[in-house]
Amino acid sequence: MIHTTYAEPVQGHYTLKNVRLETGFVSDEKGAQSTQTGLFCIDIKDGKIANIYATDTPPANAIDAKGFLMLPAFSDMHVHLDKTLYGLPWQALSPKKRTVLDMIAYEQELIPELLKTSTERGAQLIDLLQSYGTTFARTHFNIEPTSGMRSLENLQRALDLKKERFSAELVAFPQHGVFYTESAALLREAAQLDSVQFIGGVDPYGIDRDIEKVLDFTVQLAVDYHKGIDIHLHDGGKEGIRTIEYLAEQAVQHPQLQGRTFISHAFVLAQLPASEVQRIAEKLAAAKVGIVSSVPFGALVMPIPALVKHGVEVLVGNDNVQDYWSTFGSGNMLQKANLMADMYGWRTEFELSRTLRFATNNVLPLDDNGKKQWPVVNTGAEFVLIDASCSAEAVSRVSPVMAFAHKGKLYRKQ
Amino acid sequence: MEQSTVTRKEFIRKSAWMLAGATFLPGMLFVEDAGLKKGGHAHKNKKYTLKNVRLETGFVYHDGDVIATKTELFMVDVDHGKIKNVRSNQADAQAIDARGMLMLPAFKDMHIHLDKTFYGDAWRAVERRTGGLKGMIALEQQILPGMLKDSAHKAEKLIGLLQSKGTAFARSHVNIEPTSKLDSLRHLQMALDNKKQVFGAELVAFPQHGVYYTDSAPYMKEAAQAGVDFIGGVDPFTVDGAIEKTMDFTVQLALDYNKGIDIHLHETGASGLKTVEYLINKVNENPVLKGKTYLSHCFVLGKLDQAKQQEMAEKLGAAQIGIVSTIPFAGLIMPIPTLLEHNVKVMTGNDSIVDHWNTFGSGSVLQKVNTAAQVYGKTTEFGLSRMLKLATAGPLPLDDKGVQQWPKAGDAADLVFLDASCSAEAISRISPVTSLIYQGNIVF
Repeated sequence: MIHTTYAEPVQGHYTLKNVRLETGFVSDEKGAQSTQTGLFCIDIKDGKIANIYATDTPPANAIDAKGFLMLPAFSDMHVHLDKTLYGLPWQALSPKKRTVLDMIAYEQELIPELLKTSTERGAQLIDLLQSYGTTFARTHFNIEPTSGMRSLENLQRALDLKKERFSAELVAFPQHGVFYTESAALLREAAQLDSVQFIGGVDPYGIDRDIEKVLDFTVQLAVDYHKGIDIHLHDGGKEGIRTIEYLAEQAVQHPQLQGRTFISHAFVLAQLPASEVQRIAEKLAAAKVGIVSSVPFGALVMPIPALVKHGVEVLVGNDNVQDYWSTFGSGNMLQKANLMADMYGWRTEFELSRTLRFATNNVLPLDDNGKKQWPVVNTGAEFVLIDASCSAEAVSRVSPVMAFAHKGKLYRKQ
Repeated sequence: MEQSTVTRKEFIRKSAWMLAGATFLPGMLFVEDAGLKKGGHAHKNKKYTLKNVRLETGFVYHDGDVIATKTELFMVDVDHGKIKNVRSNQADAQAIDARGMLMLPAFKDMHIHLDKTFYGDAWRAVERRTGGLKGMIALEQQILPGMLKDSAHKAEKLIGLLQSKGTAFARSHVNIEPTSKLDSLRHLQMALDNKKQVFGAELVAFPQHGVYYTDSAPYMKEAAQAGVDFIGGVDPFTVDGAIEKTMDFTVQLALDYNKGIDIHLHETGASGLKTVEYLINKVNENPVLKGKTYLSHCFVLGKLDQAKQQEMAEKLGAAQIGIVSTIPFAGLIMPIPTLLEHNVKVMTGNDSIVDHWNTFGSGSVLQKVNTAAQVYGKTTEFGLSRMLKLATAGPLPLDDKGVQQWPKAGDAADLVFLDASCSAEAISRISPVTSLIYQGNIVF
């Protein structure tokens, strides 16, 4: 387990000096060869960036950022903070072959036990994510007859413990099906809570055996209570495609869902020929439905470059860090960006610098032309300080995170 | 690795103990005096004892499946660079305290280029490649003279990175071509000499620019007599334009000077397969090469259908030709499980850490094994624990039945300590490395 200790947070009105910011690309006829940076002073006030300026005479009481690179804080856009085994003694996955339905039965047994300590384990997992510079997560929480509302309540307690330095948006996740177990009423209850931002789901065909019925229910709930949607989709084949297309069609019919509807995993896209990927990607882009991926590799490789190329919003998350589904998660978003760059062959200065977006929920310091676009005065002071000379290096070398700031509060590693 | 029970200062304060200590606590004093972090003196002849060493002792079964790994704490006596004895633990013994860390065979990076790295330099990304392998050869001809100026120093820094990840031994390729001549080799040999107490290596004379595409044959012959262990090569068809001529030269050089062979083979088409088959035949004709001939990368195996993969694995296994893989994980997947089933020796390495070829290397072979476990779906306790052999280039604490087979008296004291409860956890979580011992010398 990670035990990171931080100096007392710096807060209120303060100045950071020797902050390295990216200011442009150095380009020749072949494109961006390197990234230009400069050292700046940054005033922080009321949780916001109040001023950015270069000076030879920083205020005497300015905090020294020591030339570390400031980047947008990292966001983990798919994680299950409510049911991790992180922090418990090591346990490999069971050798017994288990289907998703077997896993539901297993969870029904296990969850009452896990709920006893899920608050503190959730908090420990947040600590792990934070040690790698993440200050925001989209977390799914189980909602099914076994947990009732208790997974949510415990998760909220964990988030409350960490609220000074971490925030999250919540997805009500009917892991055991909407109808396969009677979860519809619970989902409706959760949908009415201000603390819940998304209606979740999982394999409408694989679990509930009725794509339209499940998605109609999900969409109606989201529309009725002004929520977004983020459903897990592992189903392959024609059912997988049908699920994606049906949800995209619903988003077209309900414009209020556009930009806030997501499909997590969508593994079926990895099984399709390029032309079919393009057709579906165009449909997703037009309906403003995004894809959230934990970036699988090996036998299954997601066509993320094609999705991005056709204008689909792609978000990335760790998903499992250590639990009974998988034990391989690092919790490190920069590691995910590194994996993507390595896997998709993004190797040049320009390509590597663009890859950072997958760690930052699509915020980048420079635009594609090398124009500085972040940080912006009067926006939230949400950043990391990294021991790297530029984003490209940070992504390729998985450079160490030295500090992070959440809502202006600066936490420096000791 | 820290002293148990008392710090050095506290220890000196207890003067009565101090007197006794000189007699009874050699291990402690040697650690204090070794100065190894500064590349200090040899002390292979020194003895010491480690306590609270976690060793794997067996598997826990449930319904016939391995569900966990049993471990216990032990004392380990080290003497003259070897393990002298493994005995039951005495927590209160005066000995170097391993604090319950898991002891495993030190890791080995079996494919790396210590001689040409940018590690420690200011960051620079790779440039978009033009002209394929020959374009890269032209680039190297341009940049190598500059790189050679401080290649010894860079190699030492890179070795430091590998050590920090638990690696105590490497098989390093070293450029031999008309631009570097034997300078890359000599610089690396200097670096390794400076590190010889704390890091081991074997060297492959690597004609990166072809044996004949550039006139490297005379330099290769010279290198074969200058302290290398293996004759290397790269894509004979692509670079030199002929498989047989280059392979015949390589094999003959290995035979003449009693060396092994380790050839880079990236070619994936017919020429790749033909190169593998040609090498198998040569090794079968010259059995002295069995067990010391390797193909690095060998991507062509990932392109074959399953039946052909099995056939090639069988032939490689019979010829005792090993495969060294960096574990590619997308696009092309190497049939490593098939190779292992056919008793082909499979090893891994980082290859590039950060250089003009690639900037993604972590330096950790444990991370390579973690990648392999994910690619090949080794998610169970047993499956994970077996993958450790990729990081150690062979030895595993437990055999497949869970019988303890390492460490034994007489084994080299090449040891890594990890903050993990068992090898399965170490692989799945890439657990932190806390200490490293090479030939009995405590590196950290």
